[in-house]
Order: sequence, then C-alpha cells, then structure tokens
Amino acid sequence: MKRLQNFYTEREPSILGGGFILLLIVLWELMPRLLTLPQGFSLFFTTPWKVIEACYELFVENKIQEHFYVSSIEFLAGLGLAIIVGLPLGLITGRSPNIDAMVDPFVTIFNATPRLIFLPLFILWFGIGIWSKIIIVFIGAVFPLLINTYEGVKNVDRVLVNVVRSFGANEWQVMKIVVLPNSVPYIVVGLRLAIGRAILGVVVGEFFGASKGLGFMIATAATNYKVDVVFVGVAIFMGLSLVLTMAVKKIESNLSRWRPEEAKTF
Amino acid sequence: MKLKESFAEHRRLWLGLGSVLFVIAAWEALLTYVFPVNPFFFTKPSLIAVAFKEQVIYGALWGDLAVSSKAFLWGFGFAIVLGIPLGALMGWRRKAGYTLDPFFTAMYASPLVALAPLIIVVFGVGLFAKSVLVFALSVFPFIFNTFAGVRSTDRLLINVVRSFGGGEKDLYLKVIFPSTLPFIVAGARIALGRGLVGIIVGEFYAASEGIGYAISRFGDTYRLPEMFAAIFLLMILAVALTEGMRKLESVLAPWKTTQETR
Repeated sequence: MKRLQNFYTEREPSILGGGFILLLIVLWELMPRLLTLPQGFSLFFTTPWKVIEACYELFVENKIQEHFYVSSIEFLAGLGLAIIVGLPLGLITGRSPNIDAMVDPFVTIFNATPRLIFLPLFILWFGIGIWSKIIIVFIGAVFPLLINTYEGVKNVDRVLVNVVRSFGANEWQVMKIVVLPNSVPYIVVGLRLAIGRAILGVVVGEFFGASKGLGFMIATAATNYKVDVVFVGVAIFMGLSLVLTMAVKKIESNLSRWRPEEAKTF
Repeated sequence: MKLKESFAEHRRLWLGLGSVLFVIAAWEALLTYVFPVNPFFFTKPSLIAVAFKEQVIYGALWGDLAVSSKAFLWGFGFAIVLGIPLGALMGWRRKAGYTLDPFFTAMYASPLVALAPLIIVVFGVGLFAKSVLVFALSVFPFIFNTFAGVRSTDRLLINVVRSFGGGEKDLYLKVIFPSTLPFIVAGARIALGRGLVGIIVGEFYAASEGIGYAISRFGDTYRLPEMFAAIFLLMILAVALTEGMRKLESVLAPWKTTQETR
C-alpha cells in the first residue's frame, strides 16, 4: 500500500493528465453503447475504434499516401522558404535601425492580419496546384521567424558586441561570434510558432481549390458524411503538430533553462 | 530647419511612413507605366482607393462586417466566459491543473481548424457554426494565460491576505485577479488572431454573407479592386484591435517591456 502511494505521488501529474485523456477516449468509445443516440446524430458520429479501422483501410488501399505526400511537400517547401527569408531578414532588421524602421510597418500590419485572407488571391495568382499552398504556408510561417529572430538580435548583450568590435571584428564577424549564438533560443521559439502556422496554412489551403492533400481529404470526407475519415485526417494533423512542437519545445528548454516561465503560445 | 529637427526626432516614424508611401507609389507607377497588366489578375492602388470608397465609405461591406462581428463576438465571449474560470481553476487547484493540462495542451497545439468542414456540416452554414469555430480556436489562450497568471501570483501577497484574516473571496478579488489581469489581456491578443482565423475559414468554406465570404466572392468574380478593399478593411481592423490590446497590456503591466512572441 505504502509503495503504491509512493508510486502515485511521484508520478501524480502524468497519472492524472494521462488518465484524463484515456478516460475521455474510453467515454467517447462507449458513448453509443451507453446512450441511445438520436437518429440524426449518429450520422455525424464515430468512435475512436472506427477511426483506427478507417485509417488502416485507407493505408492498405493506398488512398492516403498520396495526400500525405502532397501535404508534406507543401509544408516543407513553405517552411523552408520561410526560414530562408525570415532568418536573414530578422538578422538584418535587428542590426540596422534604419532598415528596421522601414520594414517595421509592413511587419506589424501583416503580422496582425490573419494571412489566410490572402488565400483567394493566391489561388487566383498561382492556381489551385501546389504553389498557392506553398505561398500561403510561407507567408504564415515567415513572420514568427522574422519577429523572433529580430527580438533575439535586439536582446544581444551590447557589451559583448563592443568587446568583439574593439578587437577589430567587422560586422560579419560580430554576427557570427556574438549575435547568432545569442539569438538561437529566440529563433527556436520562432520556429515552433512557425511550425504551427505552417500546418494551419497546409490545412486551410487544401480546403479550398485543391485536388490532393490531407486537407482536401478532410473536406471531401466531411461533405460525404464520412466522419471517420475526417477524424483520420484530423488525427494525423494533430499528431504531427504535437510531435513537431514538442520536439522543438525540448530543444527550447535545453537552450534556455534560465528563462522565467511564460504562458504557452502556439 | 524645423523639418530637419522633426526628422531627427521622429526618425523611425518618418522612415516607416516613407517606405509605405514608396511601396504604394512604386506599385502604382509600375502597373501604370512599365507593364499595364491584365486587370483580371492584378490591380493598382488608385483603383483600390475607388473601390474602397464605394465599398467602405458608401457602405456595401459594412453589412458583411456586421455579420462576421456577430459570430466573432459570440464565440469570443464564450471563450472568455469559459476560459478564464477554467484557467483559474487549473492554476489554483493543483490536481485540476495536473489533470487538465496535457489534454488542453494537446488541443491548443493541434490545428483545430481541421475540424472546420465537419463543424459546418454538422451545425450548418450560419452564425452558430462560425461561433463554434471561433470559440474552439480562441478559448485556449485564455485558459493557458489565466493558468500561468494565477500560478505566478506572488505567494507572499497571498500569505499576507491570509494572515490578516482574508477569506477565499478576498484572495481572488484582491490578489489573484489583479496580478492575473495582464496575462489575460496578453491571452486576449493571441486569442483575437486565432478567432479571426476561425471567422475567415468558416466564411471561406461555406457562407452566404460576411467579410470572408465577400473576399472569396470578389476573388471568384475577378473583382480585384473590391477584393483588395475588403482585405485592407480587415487589415485596418486587425491592426487597430491588436495594437489596442498591446496598449492595454502596457497600461496594465508596465513592467513587462518586451513580449517574447507577437
């Protein structure tokens, strides 16, 4: 008894938290057996087990691989472009007050606006193929990266910069020796936020004017009342964003143990 | 001379203004003189200004905006009403925090927008489905920011109130609420952005009115100036709201000078 109690107190957070999620899943599974659902409702209802079955079927029948492939390409290409553009721009705006002043209005405006409103425009410009999605992923992910890199550069210790300068370093060397290593924790935070925005872009981009991709699969399944297929898609997106954000979070906490606790942001 | 002084003083402002004006002028000039492009695919500021006047000042868009705001306010209102008490509970009762934190974290981190087609199929095309979508997206920042705010309340202050014989109610009203408020406002700013995403996705997906619907309708009918007018209207509103929140934040918590994330 004593040992059991010790076991519990040591792991209380994970037991309670994991238990709650398990309980919800079990309740969801048992719901149609415990209650008689109204006729119209069962049309929109599915259980976790049916979702797993649907997932297995889709996989065996080779129906999901292509959607998954297209979505990953969009995600990776958009996020990659965002990194290529966002990081250098963040470094430059952080180092040069003049360029910062000139770019700042655009960053503020675009960051406050949900970039998804440009989706119809991008579909008009780039068609319903893969490119309109890559661009929407890019424009969603680039701002968190840019802004956090900028904050990181701004927070670099002035003294360190001056020391390196006094020893005759040029701007490039200052960047390499002081600025970049110091802004890495911020960049990682930006990356985590960017991953979330990128997945959002993939999902929503594929809802409208697409013929492939997991978002497209969800949208068509919903209009055909195949609720289990909808949840297969949703579960894949959930799983991917959880794994990716948690991985980045891990890196983050390794890099910045000294930082005070902040509210979660995704 | 005075101009020069003013420039030196407000250098940032002038540079920013200059670069915005430059971009607009370059856009106009490029499309007028260098390559006059197909009006179906591109447009220029002068045409957008005309459309803006028609749509915004003479009113066609305000009806759409009213429809969207209604759905937004319902969803956002419920997010506040449910999110703040839940967050406070999680922060104040240790076990409640342990129990709910992983589940809500998973929900917060996952793209719930993926459920939009299902929500619309189930609840229909209208106010209710959109409000549900806004709620689902914007409730989590309230929960987690209240949670963090309550947890970071100064233990010392709590002990002081207790030693002077204050009850549970005094604790909530005099210590926890004031020290959590800045966190909640910061959460509201994040929730605002997410709520806007909900409205726009809901209206792009299936709607017959609303600002998102207006944008996608103008896009489908190649009315680019009107589409840009609607986009600019939404941009102005979004910037005004977020900057307003930011101001409120710095009024409520002047010691928090920089924010890690925007």
